[in-house]
Amino acid sequence: MANGEIISGFLAPHPPHILYAENPPQNEPRSQGGWEQLRWAYERARASVEALKPDVLLVHSPHWITSVGHHFIGVEHLAGRSVDPIFPNLFRFDYSIKFDVELAEACCEEGRKAGLQTKMMRNPRFRVDYGTITALHMIRPQWDIPVVSISANNTPYYLSMEEGQVEMDLLGKATREAIAKSGKRAVLLASNTLSHWHFHQEPEPPEDMTQEHPQSQLGYQWDMRMIELMRRGEMNEVFRLLPQFIDEAFAEVKSGAFTWMHAAMQYPQLAAELHGYGTVIGTGNAVMEWNLLKAGLARAAAEAA
Amino acid sequence: MTLVSAFLVHGSPLPQLCPDVPNWQRFRQAMQQAGAALRASRPDVVLLYSTQWFAVLDEIWLTRRRSEDIHVDENWHEFGEMAYDLYSDVSLANACIEACRAKGVNARGADYQGFPIDTGTIVASTALSVGSEALPLVVASNNLYDNAEATEKLAAIAVACAAEQGKRVAVVGVGGLSGSLFTKPIEAQDDRIVHAEEDAWNRKVLALIEAGDVDALREVLPAYAAEARVDMGFKHFHWLLGALGGRFQGATVHHYGALYGSGAAVVEFNP
Ligand SMILES: [Fe+2]
Repeated sequence: MANGEIISGFLAPHPPHILYAENPPQNEPRSQGGWEQLRWAYERARASVEALKPDVLLVHSPHWITSVGHHFIGVEHLAGRSVDPIFPNLFRFDYSIKFDVELAEACCEEGRKAGLQTKMMRNPRFRVDYGTITALHMIRPQWDIPVVSISANNTPYYLSMEEGQVEMDLLGKATREAIAKSGKRAVLLASNTLSHWHFHQEPEPPEDMTQEHPQSQLGYQWDMRMIELMRRGEMNEVFRLLPQFIDEAFAEVKSGAFTWMHAAMQYPQLAAELHGYGTVIGTGNAVMEWNLLKAGLARAAAEAA
Repeated sequence: MTLVSAFLVHGSPLPQLCPDVPNWQRFRQAMQQAGAALRASRPDVVLLYSTQWFAVLDEIWLTRRRSEDIHVDENWHEFGEMAYDLYSDVSLANACIEACRAKGVNARGADYQGFPIDTGTIVASTALSVGSEALPLVVASNNLYDNAEATEKLAAIAVACAAEQGKRVAVVGVGGLSGSLFTKPIEAQDDRIVHAEEDAWNRKVLALIEAGDVDALREVLPAYAAEARVDMGFKHFHWLLGALGGRFQGATVHHYGALYGSGAAVVEFNP
């Protein structure tokens, strides 16, 4: 069956702090809240996902790093405990995730056809990374939508940013192709922080919001400049500036998720909805959405009209 | 004498996960030889530093008495998993944390069920047969913002803490040599160092290590790290150097070879 499509794409950052601050039952550490601006941003994003009713969520996370190819989780269900190696005090999460293996296999195959090295991850004991889990939980805490999980191939770091972005562009196009053939309505999650300069010491307690602020004024200014361009839909300019942004703001978008997502959506010159922005341990995080359905750029919109 | 033996070993899971590959088998044999030598030096504890355990805020030390789990590598998941059951010397690890803080290095412990112990620590401990209740570990993370000097200081702190507790220590630095690797699948039997220049660099540095020529090593290491894309700037060697007090007599290279294109070795130092 054909006619699948991408109905929306989110920039969905994954600092474990915001999940910790929500005190979900799956997370062992308890918090006194914090980072509300970002959590409310995710609340707005959740409402949008609820209205979109996607069949599948596809997520690209920089914390599943693969050196040989792009990998896709190919196991129906994975459960276990994920502990953040950097913030084990904040994130010890018992996850249970259902994967859309059929679509993952299609993405893997389309990627291979596009000339990429791709591989299915079939090991049932594999541990899902905290970036994937945090982005998914923040956007859909019910965990009731199947997932396609994609690794971050190391090319942008191992070779060069340019070569890496070319890979991610191909991966995005392959993902689009696979979704189209699947007949499914898909939402994409690019799990990336913007400016990534961070504190070198954690406040005590970590949720002490009197301590939270941008680590770098330059990083903050870059974030605002890029967000403003995205809000205006000047995505060509965003991508023109992306290498400089990555260099000067140490932006996590280097890992490729953002490029993958926009390539999959065919780089729409569409004004993004900013659901919210906040810093976490000094890094800049924006929850943003390019809603193709609302913009009339998805076929489902025409069908509904 | 506090420090009784020192080893530089690779942290790749491939030799353990693919035991039938002849050229990788030699790494397993070398690890067994090194492990035997380590245990023969009768240490009370093994101080281990792995390039693959990243920290970015504080220096983290493993403070969980027993870590038991099954590990699946994020890249090599297709080859199976590695079971581990590792004991830590918690009192020495806590002393290291205290000593770090006293010296202005932010440090804390990690004592959590399910904490993701890195591939390198698991590979080295299981292949060298250390980390038992009788021969526990003290494991230090690789803070990505630490340079060579900070890493040497860290190891020196750990050895000093062991001395204070009257313990004999073996020290292990876990990491690779040249860092270029194959990014497309290869047949394991065709494995080789990706670039001839990196192979030459590895051999040159290993020869200097065998000769115990620390002055020459200090001279060439910055260029080696940059030109051969050495795993984490060879900080695992600096960990050893710091523990050894900045000098050693020489070393035996039990094996040198390629692991998916990157350089790897098993080296036993003569303190
Ligand atoms: Fe991240």
